[in-house]
This record gives sequence, C-alpha cells and structure tokens, in this order.
Amino acid sequence: MNHENWSKLARIMSKRSLWMIHFCTGCGAMEMPPVMTSRYDMERFGMHAMATPRQADVFLVTGYLAVKTLKRVVQVYEQMRDPKYVIGFGSCTINGGMYWDSYNTIKDLSKYIPVDVYIAGCMPRPEAIMDSFLKLFDMIDKGEAIGWQKYHKYYDQYKRNQRMAFSYRLDEVKDIKEDDKE
Amino acid sequence: MITLTIAIFLMGVIVVGLLNKYPKTAGIIAFFVSLIPFFALLSWSSVMNITLPSYLQFLNFETSWQYNLGPGTLILQITPLGWFFLLLLSSLFPMVILFSISYFRSNAGGFYAAMLLTMLGSFGILLAQDMLTFYIFWEIMSWSILALVIRGGDRKAIVSYLSFGALSAMLILFGFMLLYFKTGTFVFAEMHLDASNLVLAAITLIVSGFAVKGALMPMHVWAPHVYSKSEEPFVAFLSGGLSKLGYFGIMLFMYGVVGFSLLSSWGTFRGVPLFGYSLAVVGAFTAFAGTVLAVMQDDLRKLLAYSSIGQLGYIAIGLGIGTPLALTGALFQALNHTFFKAVLFLAAGAVYYRTGKYKISELGGLGYKMPFTFLASLFAIFALAAIPITSGFAAKWLLYEAAIEKKFLFVTPIMLIAGVGAFLYVYKILYGVFLGEPRYNVKEAPLSQLVPMWILVLPLIIFLIFPGWFVDLTAPILQGYEMTAIPHTPYTINTSLAKYNTLAVIFAFIGTLIFAFILYLSKPQEKVDHMDNYLAGEPPELYDYISMHASSKYYEPFEEVFYPYFKRGAERMWEIILAAGEVFGSGARKIYTGIVGDYSIYILLFFLIMVGWWLLW
Amino acid sequence: MVNYIDLTIQILVAIGVTALGFAIGMLFNGIARKITARIQNRVGPPIYQGYIDVLKLFTKKTNISHGWIFDLAALFSVAGIALAFLFLPVAGVSLLSGEGDLFLILYLLAIPALGFALGAGASGNPNAAVGIMRALMTMLAYELPLVMVIIAMMVYYDTTSLAVIVQKQANMHWAIFIPVFFIGALVADMALQGMLMEKPFDIPIAPHEIATGPMVEFGGKHLGALMLYKMMGIVVETTLFVDLFLGGGVILSVSQFGWLAYVVNFIVWFLLILFVFFIALLINAVFPRFRIEQALKFYWKYDALVGLLILIWIFVGVTP
Ligand code: SF4
Repeated sequence: MNHENWSKLARIMSKRSLWMIHFCTGCGAMEMPPVMTSRYDMERFGMHAMATPRQADVFLVTGYLAVKTLKRVVQVYEQMRDPKYVIGFGSCTINGGMYWDSYNTIKDLSKYIPVDVYIAGCMPRPEAIMDSFLKLFDMIDKGEAIGWQKYHKYYDQYKRNQRMAFSYRLDEVKDIKEDDKE
Repeated sequence: MITLTIAIFLMGVIVVGLLNKYPKTAGIIAFFVSLIPFFALLSWSSVMNITLPSYLQFLNFETSWQYNLGPGTLILQITPLGWFFLLLLSSLFPMVILFSISYFRSNAGGFYAAMLLTMLGSFGILLAQDMLTFYIFWEIMSWSILALVIRGGDRKAIVSYLSFGALSAMLILFGFMLLYFKTGTFVFAEMHLDASNLVLAAITLIVSGFAVKGALMPMHVWAPHVYSKSEEPFVAFLSGGLSKLGYFGIMLFMYGVVGFSLLSSWGTFRGVPLFGYSLAVVGAFTAFAGTVLAVMQDDLRKLLAYSSIGQLGYIAIGLGIGTPLALTGALFQALNHTFFKAVLFLAAGAVYYRTGKYKISELGGLGYKMPFTFLASLFAIFALAAIPITSGFAAKWLLYEAAIEKKFLFVTPIMLIAGVGAFLYVYKILYGVFLGEPRYNVKEAPLSQLVPMWILVLPLIIFLIFPGWFVDLTAPILQGYEMTAIPHTPYTINTSLAKYNTLAVIFAFIGTLIFAFILYLSKPQEKVDHMDNYLAGEPPELYDYISMHASSKYYEPFEEVFYPYFKRGAERMWEIILAAGEVFGSGARKIYTGIVGDYSIYILLFFLIMVGWWLLW
Repeated sequence: MVNYIDLTIQILVAIGVTALGFAIGMLFNGIARKITARIQNRVGPPIYQGYIDVLKLFTKKTNISHGWIFDLAALFSVAGIALAFLFLPVAGVSLLSGEGDLFLILYLLAIPALGFALGAGASGNPNAAVGIMRALMTMLAYELPLVMVIIAMMVYYDTTSLAVIVQKQANMHWAIFIPVFFIGALVADMALQGMLMEKPFDIPIAPHEIATGPMVEFGGKHLGALMLYKMMGIVVETTLFVDLFLGGGVILSVSQFGWLAYVVNFIVWFLLILFVFFIALLINAVFPRFRIEQALKFYWKYDALVGLLILIWIFVGVTP
C-alpha cells in the first residue's frame, strides 16, 4: 500500500473514531449531555468522551476562557497526540461573546491554539453541535482539518500570543509559589 | 580435608577479626575462605550422580569424617539432602561476602568473622550424621547469628532473637534427649524408632524447634525485628540461606530419621499423615498471614521479612504433604526462595547504599537511575510472584499439584490467594522504590554489588528452562526415603493430574512477544519527562514542590479491611503466654515457704504418690 | 526427529487462532457498546467500531513514551494475553493446553496484568498508581471465590488440566447441569464480572474518579496495545468460564462428524462466550460502581461463603 492510500485510510479511521475530551469551562457545557445521551447520541459516529488528553483526538472548548483557564487548555492541547482537532464552542470562543469587554477572558481562541471548526451561538443547540461534527468529518475526509499541522508550523507565534495573554498572571503565580516555599 | 576446612575457617575467623581496621582486605580474605564449601560441594557431586569434569574437582574432599570426643563420636558425612542444601548455602555465601566488600566502609572485621562462623556452623549441620554433632554446630551457628544481630544494635531484635533462639535450642535439645532416651544412640543411622508416643513427642518438639528458625507462625515473631534491624548482606544470607536450615532439619527428622511410614502410623487423615497434615495447615496459615502482613508494611526490609515468612510457609506445606511431588515442590521452593529473596535483600542493600533510605514512601523512581539493580530485582520479583517466565512458577505449580493430588480442598485456595497477595506487595516494591517520580539523582550500584545480584539471578533462569534438571537433583534425595522422583524430561514435568512443558511456554511467549514487538515498532515515539503528565490540565511545573508519588499508605483500603483482624498479632499471643507463665510462676513460688515442716510434708506426699503409682501400675 | 511439517502447521494454526481471538475481541467491543446503547435507548456505534478504534490508535502520527519500562507495558500486555489464549482449549481444540494446566493459565493471566502495571507505574502519574492499587485489590477480591470453585472442580474431575476437564464434559455432560456446579457457575460468574472489570467492579478504571486509572498516560499505539489486551481479555476470560462450566462449547465429537464438528463447535463456542459476556453486560448497564472495600467485602463475605459451601460439599462427597 503506498503512502497516499495509507494516509487516506488513516484519515477514514480517524474520522470514524473521534475520541473527545471536553473542557467544560463555560455554560455551553450544559448542551453536551443531550448530545451524548439518547436524544442525539453522538456515539452513532463512534464519538466518545474520554477522560484524558492522551487518549483523545478532538478537543471541545465549551465556552469562555479566563486567562487562568487558557493555561490549562494549552497544557491539555499540547498533551494530545497528532492528529488532533479543536472545536470552538459558542460565541465566547469566537470573539468573546458577552464577555467581549471582560478584563479577564480571552477574545479569540484561534490566536492561542488552532481551531478547526467553530460553532456560533450563545449557546449553540445540540443540532448545531452535531452539524459541526459532520463538518469536521467532511474536513478530515478532504484533508482540510490541518490545525495540528499549523500549530507545529507557527509554533513560535502561538507561543508568543499565549505568553502575552498570561504574562502578568504567570508572574503572580510565581510570587505565590515563592511565598509558599518560605 | 574436612579437618583442614574447619581449621581454615577458624583461622580465617581470627585473621579477619583482627583486620577490623582494613575492611577491604578482610572482605577479600573472607571471600576466598568462603569459596571452600563450594569446592567441597563440587568434589562431592558424585553423591548426586553428577559427573563433573575433573578440572572442577581440583580439591578432593573425603566423603565422611569422624572425630572421637569423650562421650561420643562426631560424624560428618555427605548425604544427598545435605548436598542439596549445601548447594544453596555455599553458592549464596560467597556472593553475599562479595557484596559486603563494597557495602562496608569501616568496622567490618567482626562482621566477616561472625559470617564465617555461621557458614562453618551450617556446613557442620548439613553434614552431621549424629545428634551430638548436629547440636554442636547448630549452637555455633545460632550464637554467631546472635553476634551479627547485636551488630545491628536494635534492642528489640536482640531480645526477641535471644529468647526465640533459646526456645528453639531448648525444644531441639529436649527432643534429642527424648530420642536418646528411647534409642540409646546419637547416630541417626543406628536409631530404630517405633510408633510410640514418646517418639511422637520427640519429633513434635524437634520440628517445632526448627520451625522457629524457619519462621513458621506463630514462632516467627523474631524474624521481622531481626530482618529489619540488621545489616543487609547478613539479612540476605539469613533469609535466603540460614532460614532453610530449619526446613533442612524438619525434612531430615521427618523423612530421614522417622520416615514416612512411621509418620503414617500415628494416624492419617485423607491419606496424609496427621502430623504432616497439621504442618501443612500451619504452613498455609503462615503463607497467608505473612502475605497480608507484608502488604501492610512501609519499611522495605519489614516487607521483605514478612514476605519471607509467607514464602517459607509454602515449603512447610510441601514438607507436610510429603508425597514425592510435594517434596520436590518444597525443595524447589527452597531453592527459588534462596536466590530471589537474597537478590531482593541485596537490592534493598544497594538502594540503601545509594540513597540511605529504607522507607518505601520516601523512595521512588530508581528504575531509570539504577537500571541493572532494577532488572535483577524485577527477575527476583517475577520469581517471587511465580510468573511463569522464571523458575518460581514451577515450584508453586508442583506444590499446587501435590495439594490437589491429595485433595487438600481448603489449603489450596489459601495457597493461591497468598500467591495473589504476593502480587500486591511486589507491586508496592516496584512502584514505591523503582517506578514513579524520580526523587534521587543517584548512580548505579557499584559493580561488586551488581555482580553478586546477577549471578544469583542465573539459577532462576536456568531452572526455568530446565526444571527437569532440578528433578534430577531431587532423585537421590527421594531415593533415600524410598520414593521415586516424579516423571520428567529436561523441560517437562508430568504429574498424575497434568503436564507442564516449559519449552512450550517459553517459545509461545517469545512468539507472542515478537508479534507484540512488531505492533510496537509500527510507529515512532518520543520520550517525555515524568513531569509531562496528565493532571487534569494542571501545569505541574508550577507545582514542582508537590510530590506526585502516591506510595505512602499505598494499600490503605486493604489495611482498613484487614488491620482489625491482624492488629493483635502473634506478639500479643506470646505476651499472654508470658503473663500466664508469670502467674503460674508466682503461684509456684508460694510452695517454697521456707518452713522445714512444709518441706517434709512435700517429701512425704511425693513418696506417697510414688508408692501409690507403683502399687497401681 | 521433529516432524517439521506438523510443527509448521501447528504454528500457522496458532497464529490463525490468535488472530481470530483478537478479531473476536474487537467485535465484542462493538457488540458491547451497541448493546449498552440499546439498553440506554440510544442507537449506538456500528458493530465494527472496535476495529476502527484500534486501527485509529495504531495510525496516530505521534506517540509518547515515558521510557523503556513504560514500553514494556505495551509488549507484555499483548504478548501475555495472547499467550494465555494459546493455552486455553477453544471449542474443544487444544492448541497448547495439553502442555500446561489451569494453574498455569491463572498465572499466565498475571503476565499482562503485571506488565501493564509496570508501565502504568513508570508513567509516574498518581492516578495510574491509584488505579493499579485498585486493580490489584479487585484481583485479590475476585480470585478467592473463583479459585474455590475451580479447585472444587479440579478435585471433582480429578485433574488440573483444562483440556481434560473439557473432555470429561463431552457428550453434553456439562458441569453446569450438576446442581453443585450450577451454584458454582453463579459464584464464578460474579467473579467474572470483576475479572472483566464490568460495572459494579469497574473500580480500577473509574473514568470519572481517577481518569481511567492505569491507562491515564497511554495514548496512540500504547493505548492501542492496551485496547487489544482488554478486548482479548474478554475472550480469554469468557472462554475460561465456558470451558469450565459449559463444556467448552463442544456439542459434536470430532471423531464422528469430522470437519463439520469443528465448524459447529466453533459457532457454539462463539455463541456461548457471547452469551456469558451478554450477562456481564446486562449487569454492567444497570449498576453503579462499588467502592474498593465494598467490592472486597462482597467477594470475601458473600461470594466466598457460597464457594466455601461448595468446597464443603465436595469435601464430604469425594473420598480420597
Ligand atoms: S457563548 Fe454564551 S453560552 Fe457559550 S460560554 Fe459564552 S456566554 Fe456561555
């Protein structure tokens, strides 16, 4: 089997068995239970909620991200193994949503980690979530879901943006740490 | 030659003792002296029907030796059973001495002197052909062990060893006296025993005396104290080698002196002598309780001590059942236990040498720092847990088969559960000491500590592939007891119930490993730090002062369930017995009133009873 | 002189049967998820989902490793479980089961578990350590009743070889039709629930408490190997149960019916292990999770008590 066919097979497998880790940061997480349970049942597509990022392929960021949470999000994203996909969930991940003028939330998730699919809405209906999954499948099939490649390629930019976002928070944490040590 | 050996040993003791200031020189001298029993073993290999090339038998030892001592003659003679146990002790002993050369940095002369004396004592015990010789050498061994325990310097260890050692010596001596009273001779071969209750009492006393050395419950109280508070090389020899002398004694007296048919004449239960049946039940209890207690320990040495007690319990089970299958299993277990427990204690010593810690909850992550120590102890642990990729499995398998063959319906589940319990505590060692978060930046153990460990691992691998060679070793021993060795080829063992083919297991395992390896090579991988771990998204680099090692109170739920049943323990039992003895003693003291009239009444009463007895007889 | 042609055929059969075992294991994963989904009124994944999952894991682009001890887990778990499978009689066909016995199988089952535990410990994740602790304690808990029943059977059939036990149950003399072993089968089925780590006893991998416990750091091909181990484990453990109590699924004797017997026996064996697994799934779908001490108490108090009664029954009934 040549390389082309092999990667095609890999893509099909990856499409039909997307294991998901959902980062329940915002209110949007409320819409996940109906998606997982009998009303909409995402296991039809072989999707499955996983407990750790090591096992997961798709990362669901459900809602607004405080700077402090962003740090965890980046940590989890980096622990996931390639190929990995990110779904930004709700308006908050797109432009800040109703937190657009908050001092403490980030506005555009794709500045910090590459996002493959966005779902608009505050909050999005389960139908929209299912639709986004189908969109992601389509993109994987066509080889368009290349967020993880982008992350490798523009690693420095992403890192710089991240550092800028939590630079002053990081200092604060370091101070706390030094206090604790004393 | 034997005279010369004893002389060299005694001279070695003096020389080494004087060289206290020069530990390395003393160690090297002791090492060369310690090789002599092994050469003796080689030259006696014809006892086991083994022919060795002549360049291995360059020292020629006579097979029997006598020395006339006033009341009796000291007789030393090599027997198959003695040869087998000498194989264990004499191959372990030089390795232990070699390990100690780099282990001790100062003050080692006394250690080597006492160690040589214990080896001399064991040498005599294994060759002794009469009770007098046996007892003399037994005392040499016991007292030199006491010297080594005193070097450890823990009061509780010294007191418990002293009291239990005295108890053991008293029981054995009393048993010997009864046997002498019955037969009028010290020599084993000249004893003609019958099925009288006196002989039963004697053999019970002797076996319970040996059970102290073999750490059978409830006589085990001294062992955890001594094992956990003495120097590591000595403990390796004590647990691996010297504890087998107890089982050597039990086997010698139960099957060599008394014999299976005589044992059966005191009553049998479901085809097994009652005497052996009760020994097997005690052994099973020991195996189970030792395992449960081992799981609860946090001190590495205490854990190994209780595991030792548990594993030795299996030997008692085999000796109790007493069929050829069971005896082969017991001897095999003795051999395995000698090597794997010595490796584990030496590894504990190496870990202590590098880190200075014995507490499992304070160690961690040494597997990558000390890979060869880790691998050696991994093999030992596989043998301990009876995983079928070391010889440890064959021994346990033989014992299980023997128990099922004799339809031991209640003992076998306990044995198996003790085997499963062994997984629990070996994993505690693996995780707590070698895996997990690296906490110490240490080097690998020195070569002179690694070499003994790896040499001691070798038998575990050889007898994995060729368990038949081991069965060949047992054939002359069983012949002496009018039994035949179990059917075997070099790599298969057959019993009436089933068959065990090691070659099939090994080849199938290699095949499946290759299959797994191909799968594993399918994709490249990158190595990550232990800090790069999933901790619910917490970035651990911010919290590097928090330990990620979960080894303290590792089996807490287990302890919660079992602790209430085990908190009293055997020590409490002995305390109660002592208290009862004290009450009885103070009661008895009231008899001595100091009034002459009372004494005359006692004498009168005594005479009346004697006359009455005589009249009634 | 070794007959090389026979040996080659044997090796090929062994490879084929092992591959079949893995294939059935992956199929079972899909079936299990489908059945659970139907019980929960969902549609569920397609039945071939297990194959897709494993293939996906082995086609992941990057993998991580926490060092060579971590890699041992993947090797030992796949190798060990395949080894255990080779020593089981499958549908009356004994590949290597004449070369070992039940004790060997019980201990061979420990190889993958211990290898897995080594890898989990080497990852250095506290969740993994806690998970292994729970797994070992669950093992201690369910082994007691299981071992009691197995030993009762060994003494009853006067052999320790599983192949012989299967032979003695030929012509539909299945152990489950003997009243005492019917109770024994119930006891062993409870133990099987713990062995399969299905629900009241899925304490070791509790995803919501300790993030799938031992598997927390495994991803990509390492997780793929562990999935293979788990899926094959289902086949091995249910086959062990079927061999013990349901005659290994043998209903036609080979000497009488020739190759037809092999086919029919294999189908019956497959249906039987599916049935045994189905019972475990039904219990799994409706129960919450025990705590670890509760599981220990359940097995050692109630299950083992019944096991003890069986032992006493056999003790009285069998004369040595
Ligand atoms: S988009 Fe709306 S629902 Fe979603 S997190 Fe933001 S505010 Fe909440």
